[in-house]
Amino acid sequence: MLEEYSRFIDSGTLRELKRLVGELKNVRILHINSTKKGGGVAEILSRMVPLMEELGIETRWEVIKGNTEFFKVTKKIHNLLHMPGGESLNHDDVIVYMKQTFENTNLIDTDRYDVVFVHDPQPLGLIIKKLKGQKWVWRCHIDISTPDEEVWKFLETFVNSYDGSIFHIPEFVREGVKIPAFIIPPSIDPLHDKNVDLEEDFVKNTLERFGIDPSRPIVLQVSRFDRLKDPFGVISAYRMVRKRHDCQLVLAGSFADDDPEGEEVYREVLNMKGNDPDIFVLNLPPDSHREINALQRSATVVVQKSIREGFGLVVSEAMWKFKPVVGSNIGGIRRQIINGITGYLVNSVEGTAFRIKQLLMNPDSRELMGKNAHERVRHSFLITRHIKDYLMVIYNLLRNS
Amino acid sequence: MPAFRFKSELWTAQYTGVKVNTLSAFTKALSKADEDTIYYHLYRNLFEYHFLPTDYPNSFAYWLAENGFPVLAEKFSAIDLMEFTSLGEVKSLLVSILEEYRGNGEKMCKPFYFIRAVRKVIDTGLVAENMEEFKRGIMEAGIHSLFYHLVSSRLVHEEAVNDFSLWLREMGEEEKAKEIEKLDLMASSLYEVRERIREILER
Repeated sequence: MLEEYSRFIDSGTLRELKRLVGELKNVRILHINSTKKGGGVAEILSRMVPLMEELGIETRWEVIKGNTEFFKVTKKIHNLLHMPGGESLNHDDVIVYMKQTFENTNLIDTDRYDVVFVHDPQPLGLIIKKLKGQKWVWRCHIDISTPDEEVWKFLETFVNSYDGSIFHIPEFVREGVKIPAFIIPPSIDPLHDKNVDLEEDFVKNTLERFGIDPSRPIVLQVSRFDRLKDPFGVISAYRMVRKRHDCQLVLAGSFADDDPEGEEVYREVLNMKGNDPDIFVLNLPPDSHREINALQRSATVVVQKSIREGFGLVVSEAMWKFKPVVGSNIGGIRRQIINGITGYLVNSVEGTAFRIKQLLMNPDSRELMGKNAHERVRHSFLITRHIKDYLMVIYNLLRNS
Repeated sequence: MPAFRFKSELWTAQYTGVKVNTLSAFTKALSKADEDTIYYHLYRNLFEYHFLPTDYPNSFAYWLAENGFPVLAEKFSAIDLMEFTSLGEVKSLLVSILEEYRGNGEKMCKPFYFIRAVRKVIDTGLVAENMEEFKRGIMEAGIHSLFYHLVSSRLVHEEAVNDFSLWLREMGEEEKAKEIEKLDLMASSLYEVRERIREILER
């Protein structure tokens, strides 16, 4: 499988990875997270673990167990770390979290590994199992720069007991993090269904299935139905564009059955669309990777007008398909888009409309920016770079022991 | 005949914990920054964006421009990193440019996060004992290796001349060595540089 990546990356990369692994002989790695399926963490681990194994480094992946009550508490912790303001943790929540954490310490064997990566807050408490000589790394995939103080007080001791942490961007690091904080952005997998090359017929059929006209320009935003993705702002921008330019707007995403807010946002978006036949609001099943891929490949301009983002890897997915992206000037999006070179960074609905118009009117710019965008992702946001970064963290922590 | 061993350098990033919001604080933090931090913001960034026509070649300059210091941004961009053989020298120059600035250094700016490169040199296993193997090695070793031998290794050894030119001189190839020394890494992508080296070696 590893060799399949060689067509996407520079000639020396695989050799360098193998040489680096050569210096980590007999090191055993364990990744722990909270789900085997669904979400970006599981997606990246499902590819990264076999690739690390193929490179010759023993790598395993375990998932913590928990009942609904436990995951309700961890969801609350997640939300309060990411977006403070809700009801804080109470005594019962802490008991539920600790009780399940102790149960998981018996269920997951961490003792036989040299380096343990713990992803996100759900399994954070497992650090109590750390043995002398082991290196434990907390891989935080969310922005914890301004957490709810009570939750942070509860988690701080766990966090600072690790040997190192990893965040997507420095803006996400909470000031009280006293352990080394490595900055490693996430990555996309060029061999995932989301990103592989598609047959032209499949792309065409996908558009036909949804009633989208392939001969007219398409403006696309891919995101779940969530206020933080600002689908309403995208529709407003599209309406400004439509005054003088012909185009269609596609808002493609999904909402989980257990996400009442998602359904509410979806209905509001449909309401805002009204009877405009050129707006397509597509609520797709979560595994519609090839369909999303086809929509991205068909788009004339891709938009990501989020108000807040974990990282917004969907931007890199579109860039990989040679698309210039008009994205909000925030967090991870501004790390992916280079303004004026691989797309545009915008700060308002008006800015979004202005840049969409510019790109619709300038096929040469689109082509040049699209090429730059693809190259940017090839160089900085592919899974092989991600693996190299993890190996460097492992090497660094073990060397310093 | 001396053998050329192709090495490469890999790195990842580590947040130093230093975040500043004003030009004064930026100057102070920069003057205290360690060599790996200077390396990250200047050299690693040069590598990161080498193939794109970016407005500025390093993150210091980007931050200065974004916060209303266009003259300082241009001065930071114009520095030819190939003229330096130590990170300390580059840092001194940057600090002296900032210290000459007479504008408002206390104006609130967007935060700047100082990051350090965690670096590791590796042996790629490729060795050249003649020109044919040397040419092949340059193409096979990849752009990380190219960057190491043309840029980073000079800083490690405080050497004005890059590794390729040094070896070519030992091989009696003075002209080729000179031509490689003249390549402008601040204005070309590493792919272009590699191609140019191939052309020089094939002559």
